[in-house]
Amino acid sequence: MVFPAKYPSLNAMEMTDEARQTLIRVLRVAFPHESVPDGPYERTADTILTEAQNETWFRVALAQGLLSLNQLADGDFRTLDDESALKVLRRVEGTEFFGFVRRTAVLNLYDDAEVWEALGYQGPSFDQGGYIHRGFNDLDWLPEPRIEFPEGETLPAMAPGAGRVPRPVAEGRRRDSTNQPGATSSDMEEVKR
Amino acid sequence: MPSAEQNPAPGTSVTGHSVDQDEDAVVIIGSGAGGGTLAYELTAKGIPVVVLEAGPYLTNDDYVNNEWEAFNQMAWLDPRTTSGSWRIARDFPNLPAWIVKAVGGTTTHWSGATPRFKEHEFKTRSVYGRVDDANLLDWPIGLEDLAPYYDRAEKAMGSTHVHGRPPLPANNNYKVLANGAERAGYRFYATGPYATNAEEYDGRPASIQDGFNFQGDKNRSKWSTLVREIPRAEQTGLLDLRPESQAVQITHDAQGRADAVLYLDKEGNLHRQAAKVVCVAANSIETPRLLLLSATPSFPDGLANSSGQVGRNYMRHLTGTVWGHFDKPVRMYRGETMAGLIGDESLHDPDRGFAGGYYLETIALGPAFMAAFVEPGAWGPDFTKLLDAYTNTAGMWIVGEDMPQETNRVTLNTTVKDLNGLPVPNVHYDDHPNDVAMREHAYAAGEKVYGAVGAQSTHRTPPYPATHNLGTARMSERQEDGVVDRWGRAHDVSNLFISDGSSFTSGAAANPTLTIVALAIRQAEYIAEELKAQRI
Repeated sequence: MVFPAKYPSLNAMEMTDEARQTLIRVLRVAFPHESVPDGPYERTADTILTEAQNETWFRVALAQGLLSLNQLADGDFRTLDDESALKVLRRVEGTEFFGFVRRTAVLNLYDDAEVWEALGYQGPSFDQGGYIHRGFNDLDWLPEPRIEFPEGETLPAMAPGAGRVPRPVAEGRRRDSTNQPGATSSDMEEVKR
Repeated sequence: MPSAEQNPAPGTSVTGHSVDQDEDAVVIIGSGAGGGTLAYELTAKGIPVVVLEAGPYLTNDDYVNNEWEAFNQMAWLDPRTTSGSWRIARDFPNLPAWIVKAVGGTTTHWSGATPRFKEHEFKTRSVYGRVDDANLLDWPIGLEDLAPYYDRAEKAMGSTHVHGRPPLPANNNYKVLANGAERAGYRFYATGPYATNAEEYDGRPASIQDGFNFQGDKNRSKWSTLVREIPRAEQTGLLDLRPESQAVQITHDAQGRADAVLYLDKEGNLHRQAAKVVCVAANSIETPRLLLLSATPSFPDGLANSSGQVGRNYMRHLTGTVWGHFDKPVRMYRGETMAGLIGDESLHDPDRGFAGGYYLETIALGPAFMAAFVEPGAWGPDFTKLLDAYTNTAGMWIVGEDMPQETNRVTLNTTVKDLNGLPVPNVHYDDHPNDVAMREHAYAAGEKVYGAVGAQSTHRTPPYPATHNLGTARMSERQEDGVVDRWGRAHDVSNLFISDGSSFTSGAAANPTLTIVALAIRQAEYIAEELKAQRI
């Protein structure tokens, strides 16, 4: 599925359409969202292929990784059902190949307006006047809370009794080391019964 | 703001004011919460300053409502390395921190929460006692020293809930948090204090609840030094602002006083700006890196590092996120991202099994960041379920005090170089047992809150790359315990100041920006007095 690993042409190595389809399937299985259409997955796959073109090491890792998916699938990875495909991916998750795919996917798949829409995120808002008149406070399944501290009260500083915790025994001794200022005389480590 | 036709030469001022490179100037490195504030406060007192900013001059019009696009536009993406047992070293090995490289620094990315430190949080060594392997130390200052500056910082930043500023309204994510808090028995929940306008204030409009304040806030309702301090400093006519100018070394004279800053422009050319005062506010990774890069035979371990504490005691706040999944829509992404907190657990109560406290604050991510951060490394149906629940998800972020440890530190990684051939910073971090215990407690508390309002499931997300970077040039009374004194002035170098969160002796539970700004206002007064009296 990779054309072809004849040595002089390594740098010109191109991914076949089958490779691209396999990659899209990998993304679908690794990042399954029922509500997300195919477009974002395809765009993410293309981003990965473009990055692989620019980086020799990624290109080699990607080619080898896609080939090994088929080997682990005993055939064509694309024909596996979701559960079996997930198992195959779990077996390769520690590889350079999968790490590269995962990182690139996380950075790109979710930076996509179609994905935002599917997840319920509205994207840029400043041009539309923010949310001041568009529901920044439209949550209605909880009562309106107060927005200031209880009147006349100030934040607690120290718990009752916290000031009476065993102070350093020799507080006021100024000659202790800089690293551990204060007494060590309460150290009971060597006490034996 | 620079106009296109001016098109200043690389590494030179983009404002109307320009300082000669041979003139001994007050040089501020960084334009974020610390550097931007300092620049405004000094110029307002009639003192000209040169601000070197590593990143470009982005404006609110440049920002985009897209998580990755904005990240790539704003974030500090120069290579860094990590080590240690923290999960970041595995999940995001080259992104220990999520901070901004642009004019305005990380105030353009921050969300806006402005709780104050509490009195005891300046005295952690005395109050928490001896904690094994923690390098606890009392601050040389207390709340009483900082209180008037907290007032000024809150007014400058327009914090809600204080000084007559009205609270922000409840958004969807807050409604879930607040109702859950009430039913779980908490009392101290509110939509702030939060430095984003609920109504027009200080020449900037009210929030339109667009949900993109991590991405810079195009509406300018959120306080940042980009929208307030930098333009005002420019209006004084005394600000020389040099974007895309990255400081790479502070040099010193034979007496051990800082005398110049070397910096690279965007084309990689090296410049030298002579200095009479140098203030470093480059955030807690680049600040120690710069001091370490400035080592000389007189300062063999790095500039101002006789204590050996430069780069050590790196703190990043506890952090962690709890997501709750409900059977009804939440749409957490609508509205101010972090305008909601629970403060009941921010107290120090050793009976919980750890020292220090934490806040629970609302947080929302879009699907793009949710996918990247909700469970790093995960895939498969369990992972996609978390995203399928997106509409019905509420989120809260844990912000708690982590223990300063000497071994958690920023060092120079001499085997990895950045684009300019400089050693990159390595960030080493191990969770302290106190951090682990607190995080567990906080996760459980968050689950209890969401459970109380009917969450069908919850999910624990590990810490993100750090936005709260602290402690790597800490304040101390004694020279041998830290890097700077009570004014942020280096113990070893009398005209060198640290003006960012690096100077924090301990991290407290509170989000740090308010305290960075308060310290910078206070430091500006001190520097102005010292200059006037010719003591620096």
